[in-house]
Amino acid sequence: MNEITGLMRKKAKELLEKGVVERVIGWEKGMFFYSTTPVVIDKPEETEKLVWDDFAINNLAIYLLDKQNKEKKVALFVKGCDSRGVVRMIQDKQVKRENLYLIGVPCPGLKDPKTAVRGYYKDAGQVPKAKKCQECLHPNPVLYDEMLGSPVEEPQQIDRFAEVRELEKKSTDKKYAYWKEQADKCLRCFACRNICPACSCPECIFDCSKPRWLDKEVSTVQNQFFHMIRMWHVADRCIECGECERVCPAGLPLMQLNRKLLKDINELFGPYEAGMDLEQRPPLTQYDTGDPEEFM
Amino acid sequence: MKAVPKDKLPALLEELSKEGDLYVPSQAGEMSRFVPWKRDVKLDLEHNTTMSPKELLFPQTEVIYNYKFGEENTVEPPSPGSDKIILFGVRPCDVQAIRCLDEVFLTRTYVDNYYQEKRDRLIIISLGCTAAEDTCFCKDMGVNPVEAEGADIVIFDLDGEYGFEAKTDKGKEIAKKLSSFLEETNKEKPAAPSFSLEVNSEGIVEKLQKMFEHPIWEEVSQKCICCGTCTFLCPSCHCFDINSKNIDATKGFKYRTWDACVFDDYALMAGGHDVRPSKVERIRNRFLHKLQFFQERYGLFLCTGCGRCLRECPVGTNIAAFINRLEEVTVDG
Repeated sequence: MNEITGLMRKKAKELLEKGVVERVIGWEKGMFFYSTTPVVIDKPEETEKLVWDDFAINNLAIYLLDKQNKEKKVALFVKGCDSRGVVRMIQDKQVKRENLYLIGVPCPGLKDPKTAVRGYYKDAGQVPKAKKCQECLHPNPVLYDEMLGSPVEEPQQIDRFAEVRELEKKSTDKKYAYWKEQADKCLRCFACRNICPACSCPECIFDCSKPRWLDKEVSTVQNQFFHMIRMWHVADRCIECGECERVCPAGLPLMQLNRKLLKDINELFGPYEAGMDLEQRPPLTQYDTGDPEEFM
Repeated sequence: MKAVPKDKLPALLEELSKEGDLYVPSQAGEMSRFVPWKRDVKLDLEHNTTMSPKELLFPQTEVIYNYKFGEENTVEPPSPGSDKIILFGVRPCDVQAIRCLDEVFLTRTYVDNYYQEKRDRLIIISLGCTAAEDTCFCKDMGVNPVEAEGADIVIFDLDGEYGFEAKTDKGKEIAKKLSSFLEETNKEKPAAPSFSLEVNSEGIVEKLQKMFEHPIWEEVSQKCICCGTCTFLCPSCHCFDINSKNIDATKGFKYRTWDACVFDDYALMAGGHDVRPSKVERIRNRFLHKLQFFQERYGLFLCTGCGRCLRECPVGTNIAAFINRLEEVTVDG
């Protein structure tokens, strides 16, 4: 057992025993060496299930939106990305800060169980770092009540818009063909939406049946509509955790869409990263007389 | 047993493609699926596909009828296909899933014309498994991993050649047409592969019958995010939803699409009542349908142990682990 796992169990047990929280949300070990999955713990004696290892990749912030957890006092383990998801939810008044006890875990960069399946790798050491973690700029939690372990060094040299810049060089026709091909792969399983900490509407436009904005028909046009609207809805809320892209069973490059809008937002409104600071409002939810207005 | 040397496989597939629409497993981008065979399609016979072959019998979106209204109202179902649909390289777990779909769509009270029309044209050429992945558990769900019951032809990887055995009249007819590629081999059928994943499904139907109100459902559903990954990739999930779409003021079409019992609005009824209001009821329904209800009605598990949901679930929900957990559960009576 690693040091962080031990600290996690101890802390969780203490919080439940003292009644500071009613519930702890963390990760537990699954059936395979590469499965580490979210777990909800209500009893002090069950805190032995908690683990921290290479595959604790799921962003736990989404569980705060779950009806079962919304009104509860919850302790949540947060990596950099999880904590940014929580910041966004607090800013959107989806969760109350006073209901949360956030335990920060500095993140060394993790591995994707979906890369490890099928027996190509025999142990965790062989599995490469997940794409979303290779692209991560903020592995240390940005909001927490206490931190387990010491902060890791933050990477400096990552150009988060590199892929978007490459795509922008393509002609309009080529871009259209590329995105049509992506849309055609989509199964509309909604894993991207349901795993997204920025998708927090109690009723999603895509589920609305009166009127039905998104037809249930799975076709190029409907899928394009779905992805266009999804990316706009998370435009300045996307914390770049990369969960949508990671879980997509069809392998759609969804972070390219999200980052395209973030790049535009950065160019229009100045440097911005969502969920970094409770006091910083997302650019699209505020008005400033200095905002660009070239379209006027 | 007859066999085809591996280097003759492309020529055999070319010949086969003259008999109908031939589909083969292939890696298409990140997701592998059954695609129409062409000379340059790269076969992937090493792993089972991410998408199951059910989409060819039961497409994700399928038009039921086209309609026109105005002075005269008309309803016209789409014209049926005529060519054979030949599926090459289907794994035994997925053949078993087609047997499950057959039960649902073709037996008992109602025959689904849309499914039947395609099923009648289908020829299944199954590839027996010589290796099991870490997520495979078909043998524990009533599937023979080597020889798929229900396939028209079964082929076996025999090192350097594929053993070839026609099982049904349809299969024998195809075998006759391919006879120039087939030679006699004295090799034996391969032994069943060894499985690293062991699942104990014995007695679970009786146990689950007594577990409708068990606290386990709350526990197994907690991490579910209610997406459709498991159901859409599942070879045997078959729920669908019917909608219509008006193209303009005078015409439109009625269609069905895959639905998922874990979706929030799946059990929501007109008037606003939801018979499965939370994910606890929805996950319970999914697992009980797979492991209890389908057994009670048809004598088969609706989970064939293909392992797709184990590999792809965004939060690591694992039906095999759930089945094994049942061993620890005690029920009264």
